[in-house]
Amino acid sequence: MKIVVLVKQVPDSGAERNLRSDDSTVDRDSANNVINEMDEYAIEEALKLREAHGGEVTILTMGPERAAESIRKALSMGPDKAVHVLDDALHGSCALATSKVLAAALKTLEPDLVIAGAESTDARGQVLPHMLAERLGAAALTGARKLTVDGATLTIERQTEEGYEVVTASTPAVVSVWDTINEPRYPSFKGIMEAKKKPVQTLSLGDLGIDAGEVGFGGASTAVVEHARRPPRQGGTRVNDDGEGGVKLVEFLVSEKFV
Amino acid sequence: MNFDHTPEQAQLRDAVAAMGKRYGHRYFVEKAKSGGHTDELWAEAGKLGYLGVNVPSQYGGGGGGITELAIVCEELAAAGCPLLLLLVSPAIAATIIAKHGTTGQRERFLPGIADGTLKIVFAITEPEAGSNFHRLSTVARRDGDDWVISGRKCFISGVDEAPLVLVVARTEDAGTGRLAPALFVVPTDAAGLTKSRLEMEIVSPENQWMVYLDDVRVPGEALIGEDTSAGLPALFSGLNPERITAAAMGVGTARYALERASSYVSSRSVWGRPIGMHQGVAHPLAHAAIQVELARLMVAKAAALYDSGRDLEAGVAANMAKYASSEAATLAVDTAIQAHGGNGMTTEYGIATLLGGVRAGRIAPVSREMILNFVSQHILGQDKSY
Ligand SMILES: Cc1cc2nc3c(=O)[nH]c(=O)nc-3n(C[C@H](O)[C@H](O)[C@H](O)COP(=O)(O)OP(=O)(O)OC[C@H]3O[C@@H](n4cnc5c(N)ncnc54)[C@H](O)[C@@H]3O)c2cc1C
Repeated sequence: MKIVVLVKQVPDSGAERNLRSDDSTVDRDSANNVINEMDEYAIEEALKLREAHGGEVTILTMGPERAAESIRKALSMGPDKAVHVLDDALHGSCALATSKVLAAALKTLEPDLVIAGAESTDARGQVLPHMLAERLGAAALTGARKLTVDGATLTIERQTEEGYEVVTASTPAVVSVWDTINEPRYPSFKGIMEAKKKPVQTLSLGDLGIDAGEVGFGGASTAVVEHARRPPRQGGTRVNDDGEGGVKLVEFLVSEKFV
Repeated sequence: MNFDHTPEQAQLRDAVAAMGKRYGHRYFVEKAKSGGHTDELWAEAGKLGYLGVNVPSQYGGGGGGITELAIVCEELAAAGCPLLLLLVSPAIAATIIAKHGTTGQRERFLPGIADGTLKIVFAITEPEAGSNFHRLSTVARRDGDDWVISGRKCFISGVDEAPLVLVVARTEDAGTGRLAPALFVVPTDAAGLTKSRLEMEIVSPENQWMVYLDDVRVPGEALIGEDTSAGLPALFSGLNPERITAAAMGVGTARYALERASSYVSSRSVWGRPIGMHQGVAHPLAHAAIQVELARLMVAKAAALYDSGRDLEAGVAANMAKYASSEAATLAVDTAIQAHGGNGMTTEYGIATLLGGVRAGRIAPVSREMILNFVSQHILGQDKSY
C-alpha cells in the first residue's frame, strides 16, 4: 500500500504564538517550530499500516525552508521518503490554494491512502482533508479514532461529540485522524541517524504546473482583515465562606448556566 | 573545537526528553520507595537504542560517542530519572569491552548492553581501596584454564539487577611477581559470590551492595582481553566515560530542580506577589543556573574531546566537568529546596528526594578532593602529598 502522510510545521502550541503585524500570517521567526501534534498520530497510523500490510510511507509537506527540520524529524520516526513543496510564492496561501498545491503533489505520488491530522494547532480549520478528497476524487474518511484496512476496504470509527460513527470506503481515500487513534512512537536513535540518508524531493510550483498567481496572497480566497490578542484573563469571582459559601457557589454556577 | 550539537544530537535530546517526561520523577521515587527498579524505562530506552548510542554499530549499537550517551544521561535526569546504571553498563562496561575485549566478548556482551537486555555492573571499590585503588586486594589466580578470584568489594551499584559484574582484581605477573590489575566478567550468581545490601540514604531505585568473592571460579575467557596486559589500559579506558556521564547526570538533575523551583516561585505568593519577584529568592536560583550552565558546557567539551580521541585533554576536562557538575547540582538542589519553603522537604514536590543523590555525586565515582589533587598536580604542577 502506498501511503502519503501530510505533515505541517507549526509554532509550538505550548508556547506563546503570534501573528505577524505586517501581513497577519503566523509568526514563524520568533516561534519554536514543531511538527503539528496531530500529524504525529497520522505518521504513527501509517507506520502501523506499513508494518501490517507492507508498502511505502511518504511524508508530504508544504512549507518554507525551515520546514525541512520537521520533515527530518518525521522521517526519523520511520517513513521511507519525503516530498517538500517549497516556493517563496506560497507565502500567504489560503486553505483552498494549499489544497490545490497539495493535491497536485499527491497526484504525482499516486497514493492509495492519504493520512492527515484532523486539524493543525495553528489554523484549526479541519477543512484541508475534505478539500483534498474533493480535488482528488477520493473518499473522505475524516475525524477517525480508529482505522482498519482490509484489502482495498477502509473502515473508520469517526469520532463525534456523542460517540462515534462507523464509516466505510474503498481506496483511494483521504483519512484524517484525532489523537485518540494511537500513541505515536518516539524516534529511535537508529531512526534519527537514518533519517538524514532518506530521500527528500523538493518540488516548486513550476514542477507542479501551478501558476504563482493562483496561490499566495494574490490567489487567496480569504483574507485576514483584522486580528487582536486574546484579552488577558479576568480576575474571576471569589466566594468567601461566611456560612453561605455553598449557596453562593451554586448561585454562581446557575448564573453561568453550568447547572 | 566545535561542540555544537548536530541536528541528530539535538533530535536525540528531544526524543529522550519526551520519553523521560512520560515516566518522570514520581515514577522514579515510587520505584525507589517500593524497592522496585525502573525496568519499564530501561527496557523502553533500550529498545529505542538510547542505551546503546555509544556502542559500535556492528554490535547492534548506535555508533555514536560519549556525547550521545551524555545527552541520554542528562535528559533522563532532567526528566526526574537520574539513572546511575547508565554510568555503569553503557558508559564503563560497554567502553571497556568495545575497546579492550576480545572479539568473542564483544559479540557476546555488546548487543545486549546496547538494547538494554543485558546490564553489566562494575566492581572496583573495596573497603580498604576507594580513592586509592593501588591498594586493591582482590586477587585472581590461575588454575589450569580457569581463574579463581577472592576478595571483597563495596558500594557496588546494581548487583541485584545485573547478571554480570565486571570485577577489577589483581593477578600475579609471572615474570616480575608484581601484582597488576585485570578485569573479569563474573556472573552475579557464580558459586562463591555473595552479596549484602548496604542501607544508603539516597532515594534511588538502584542499590549499592557489598560483594564477597570467595574462591569464585571463572573460565579463562572471563578475562577481559587476550591476556592480563589488557588490564591497566582497560581500567583506565572506563574512567573518562564514567566521569563525563556522571557529570551529565548531575547537570540534568540540577536542571530538573531549577525548573521545578522556577515554576514554584513564579506561582507561590506569600506577600501578595510571586516570591520569585524577591531578589533574595531569584538571585540564588539565577546563581545556581549559571553554575549549572558552566558545568554543562564543560561536559560538552569533555565529551567532544573524548569523542575526537584527544584522551589526555579529555581526562582534564572530564575531571573538571565532574567536579563542576557535582558542585552545581548540590547547589541547585539545595537552592531549589530553600525556594520551596516547607514544601521543599515534602515527597510530593520531589526536590528533597534528590538530596542524597547529588550529595553522593561529590564523592562518587571520584571524590572532589581527588579531582582537586589531580588539578593541583597536573595543571598547577604541585608535588603529590600522598
Ligand atoms: C552511591 C554510590 C555508588 C557507588 N557505586 C559504585 C560502583 O558501582 N562500583 C564501585 O566500584 N564503586 C562504587 N562506589 C564507590 C565510590 O567509587 C567510592 O566511594 C569513592 O571512590 C570514594 O572512595 P571511598 O568511599 O573509599 O572514600 P575514601 O577513599 O576512604 O576517602 C574518604 C575521604 O577522604 C578523602 N581523601 C582520600 N584521599 C585523599 C587525598 N589524597 N587527598 C585529599 N583527600 C583525600 C576523599 O576525597 C574522601 O572525602 C559508589 C559510591 C557511592 C556513594
